[in-house]
Amino acid sequence: MSSESRVVQGRAGNARSFQRWAAENPLAVLAAVFVVLFLATSAIQPGFFSVSGVRNTLLQAAPLGILAAAQTVLMLTGGIDLSVTMIATGAAYVAANQSPGGAAIAILMGLLVGLIVGSVNGVGVAIFRVNPLIMTLAMSSILLGLFTAWTQTVLAGSTQVAPFIRLLGGGSWMGSVPYSVLVWGGVAIVLIWLLRRSGWGRLIYAIGDNETAARLAGVRVWQVRLSAYMLSGVLSAIAGILLAGRTGAVDLQLAGAFLLPSVAAAVIGGTSIFGGVGGYSGTIIGALILSVLNSLLTFLNVGQAIQQMVYGSIVLALAWGYAGLTRRS
Amino acid sequence: MKCEARCVFKSRNALHAAQLMQAPMNQPQVLLATQGVAKAYGPVVALRGVDMTVRRGEIHALLGANGAGKSTLVKILAGVQPADAGKVYIEGRTVHFHTPADAIAAGIATVFQDPALIPDLTVAHNLRLSRIDEAKFRTSLERFGLGDLDLGALVRELPLETLRIVDLARAMARDPHVLLLDEITAALTADQAERVFDLLTEWRAQGKSAVLITHRLAEVMRICDQATILRDGRNVAELVTAEVDEHQLVEAMLGASVEPLMKTAQGAMASRRLGETALEVRGLTDRHQVRDVSFAVRSGEILGLVALEGQGQDRLFDLLAGARRPVAGEIQVAGKTCHFRSPYDAVQRGVVLVPGDRLIALLPNQSVHHNLALPLFNHLRRWLRIPTDEQPRVQRAIERLSIDVRAASQVRRLSGGNQQKVVLGRWLVSGFRTLLCFDPTRGIDIQTKREIYALLRELAAQGAAIVLYTSELAEISLVCDRVLILHDGRIVDEQDAATATESSLLKAAHGLEVVA
Amino acid sequence: MMMPSMTMRNNPTLRILFRNSWTLGVWLLLGALVLWYSTLIPVFGPFQITSITKNSLPLVYLAIGQAIIVIAGGIDLSLGALLLLSNVIAARFMAGQPLPAVVLIALGIIAGLALLNALVGFIITLSGVPDIVVTLATGYIWSGLALWILPSPGGGTAPEMRWLFTGSPSGVGGSYWPPLLMLLIPAALVAIWSRNTQVGLSLYAVGSHKTAAQLAGLNVRQAKIVAYGIGGAMAGLAGLAMVALTGTGDPRFAIGANATLNSVAAVVLGGVALTGGVGNVFGVVATGVILIMLNPILIAMRVDSNNAQVIQGVLIAGVMMFGGLVAFLRERRS
Repeated sequence: MSSESRVVQGRAGNARSFQRWAAENPLAVLAAVFVVLFLATSAIQPGFFSVSGVRNTLLQAAPLGILAAAQTVLMLTGGIDLSVTMIATGAAYVAANQSPGGAAIAILMGLLVGLIVGSVNGVGVAIFRVNPLIMTLAMSSILLGLFTAWTQTVLAGSTQVAPFIRLLGGGSWMGSVPYSVLVWGGVAIVLIWLLRRSGWGRLIYAIGDNETAARLAGVRVWQVRLSAYMLSGVLSAIAGILLAGRTGAVDLQLAGAFLLPSVAAAVIGGTSIFGGVGGYSGTIIGALILSVLNSLLTFLNVGQAIQQMVYGSIVLALAWGYAGLTRRS
Repeated sequence: MKCEARCVFKSRNALHAAQLMQAPMNQPQVLLATQGVAKAYGPVVALRGVDMTVRRGEIHALLGANGAGKSTLVKILAGVQPADAGKVYIEGRTVHFHTPADAIAAGIATVFQDPALIPDLTVAHNLRLSRIDEAKFRTSLERFGLGDLDLGALVRELPLETLRIVDLARAMARDPHVLLLDEITAALTADQAERVFDLLTEWRAQGKSAVLITHRLAEVMRICDQATILRDGRNVAELVTAEVDEHQLVEAMLGASVEPLMKTAQGAMASRRLGETALEVRGLTDRHQVRDVSFAVRSGEILGLVALEGQGQDRLFDLLAGARRPVAGEIQVAGKTCHFRSPYDAVQRGVVLVPGDRLIALLPNQSVHHNLALPLFNHLRRWLRIPTDEQPRVQRAIERLSIDVRAASQVRRLSGGNQQKVVLGRWLVSGFRTLLCFDPTRGIDIQTKREIYALLRELAAQGAAIVLYTSELAEISLVCDRVLILHDGRIVDEQDAATATESSLLKAAHGLEVVA
Repeated sequence: MMMPSMTMRNNPTLRILFRNSWTLGVWLLLGALVLWYSTLIPVFGPFQITSITKNSLPLVYLAIGQAIIVIAGGIDLSLGALLLLSNVIAARFMAGQPLPAVVLIALGIIAGLALLNALVGFIITLSGVPDIVVTLATGYIWSGLALWILPSPGGGTAPEMRWLFTGSPSGVGGSYWPPLLMLLIPAALVAIWSRNTQVGLSLYAVGSHKTAAQLAGLNVRQAKIVAYGIGGAMAGLAGLAMVALTGTGDPRFAIGANATLNSVAAVVLGGVALTGGVGNVFGVVATGVILIMLNPILIAMRVDSNNAQVIQGVLIAGVMMFGGLVAFLRERRS
């Protein structure tokens, strides 16, 4: 295993040691994929290779990255949340409706929507042990119905969000760093700290890896699970408010297109859908890859049909590649 | 690698094998042979090169301490995993297994420790899936006294010992050349084990062979003709069992002469001092399996529990650990009545469980560290911080148990013995008052076994109360102070560990009256 | 050692009923709903039967396909997209064709989608990527393909196709026999095949306990590929039913996504565990029809359509919570 013998082994040895390195650092490989995609986009759209190109990519990626954060936490526990986009839309609606009363109230009410819906999901999954796929799917359907009805009644007022929310979603700090990216950064730091350095993070991984073991060790699994769904609701609400801020107004299709990408970003980033393995740093790169891919396909101007096909193929290829890399080790 | 040289050396054995196979019919013929079989999992080498020769009409024991490579060899012979190097011969022909189906087709039928039966299907469906003739299968079943087994029953509804016999009967119905039996008697009653031996003897008389993987040396001495002994991924000895005794087998497995287990244990025993009652149960009753169980264990005491398979011991431990709720009866911890609604409640009271199946207690993808530290975070107030003494506590547990941390990043890569230590070590990290230990030495090598027993004595000496269920009767008297015998969900007898003998325990465990 | 009740153990009929109690329950529920519906509206006759049956066909087919895949331990989030693909191919190429060509196209679609999804199953077993992820990605690919084949809603189909799935060449009114038979025959074929053949049972085996299935010498990979192939074929059938119902093709992504989610809901409500190996196709047929029937019932009750959506969601969540509660209580008792 000495470095000397590696040199002697020559080319095949180099390939193998690269493979081993890649298997141990899958995130670096993902980052490289991102860079390649970014350069490819720049080659097609020369203006893209610039500060504003980077800024745009980050701006696009922020809401997706936050929705994918919700998905990552739940996937680590062995769950999933198909209602993230409806929670986001609902929170945005409430925030818009409350906007005449000031941005602070609007944001708080929006987050409250996320917390409430997340709690209901959590109660269903953690206490009544409903399969998360079904629970959140049903929740999504409930929310869609409720908010469609409410837009004509209790939420009939404002569909415009407060100026501060618009600034948060679309504005930039000192004209260069988008506020939404700062929010995303804050979410990322907190979440990575929680997952890596807190007892809660340990428990999230533990219940996802082996729920019975966690239970026997005295972990109150339902509390951990409930808290994860609550957090997921709040994160989705944050993403919804940012999205509303970016577009300035809300509608029922606000976040719909982000559902599958939010799962895909976490998966590409190496979080196992069965729980216990992964982390948020991978998801961040996953979200960046997907948003730069979006830009690339938009610049290519190939039409929606080809876009969807390429998008699907690349998600599959990346997930496959990741699985191949990490399985070898 | 020095592979070249080794392989040349090996081929002499192969030549020997080939000669044997060409021998006339009345000579022993080689049925199954391996030559230089090697396997590594990443950086961990499990098999370094195993040569094994199983002759026609022979019951062959495959022995070795934990981590010696027995289970890896079984997996290779059963087609579960391919070997990295080496060859497998059946009747002189090289065979390559890619799937278990290949091995079955080549005439190796394996009975694994976990029955390879589909839980959500009926027995009849399972037979159909394996294309087994029902009549033939029934004939084998009858030999085990299970002739009236309802083939329409779902596999998940049947008890483990029945499933192991169903699995064995299915393997025999496949009409293989070689039966590969991994700890076949582990879940069986003595009576059933006896019938398995009878059947194997007959099997041998028909000119067929069997490979027996077992930790029970008495079985080896009784029924096996030959024994291949693995150590550290190599075959270190091939013995004719009639020519050796158990002691020599153990020596060959460990590689050095064994100091008796006795010494370690008794040294600690001398210093025992009993304290207050730590855990007391009165009239504990479960819906079906546990009936009116009452006992008390004091701190500093190791209370043994002995039972045949399936007498309600698993359920009793579940009740004590809060994993299930009793129908009647009460549990008192340090004199206070408790109602455990979940393991959390029990852990809070210092009553902790080391379950029989270590896989249900481990987080396979997490590190040794995270596995050990898990119970530290049970309180909501611990959610947002990690206690500063976590690192030293975990480190102390690792050292005290001498856990091998070479593959510490994922617990699933550790050997069985090390995994068991991690399960135990978890409670050393968090602290406890009463330890419920369910068969902690099952399927574990002698060295680790000794370490675990010594640790239990040490913990008791420091004031812990321990309830120990073990399936190894011979070792009860070495570790325990008192023994309770459970039969059909009831405590039928209590014996002093010092005077209890294997036969007195066994009689009581069968529900027979013991005359003092 | 002890079974819950000895009578159940000894009496084969009782045992079969007990084991299929969930299936029995959903069929009773369906019966009750039909009865209730018939009292809600002024006239309940052949027209309503035809309407309920034909409208359920796409979801029922899709749910049968999903059930088979879930039983084999997978899940297919691309079934809805495959439905779109079948729908647009049929709409684009069938209109104005003579009967033999229509039949050929229909069979071609079913066989083609079966092969396509079998390939997906193969990719899943080969790559080791979870089913949900692979089919999420292929779902995008198939809906893109559908959009490429038929960029905007349109196209048509042959009257014979419409008659087969709706009971009338124009898709309006007509006899209830063709749709009813088209509902029951494929369902019965798949159900019987899955419980009574070696390959069918191997799907249950692989879904129930993959390792045990492998150790018992079954071909796990083959089982999964077959399951996905059947899922593809059923999605093809669903797309044909769709084009027969509406008379046109529609490539919108949302239709596919909704169909997928409904198929998963129907499967779970029908008693097929998402963990695999448990449940049967018959239950799923009933829940598929129930999910479709809720709409006319709620309309007959003059419930606003948005509220209808809420009620459907609450119902799904409620039933699953009830199921969770029952499982929990049963576990505590035993």
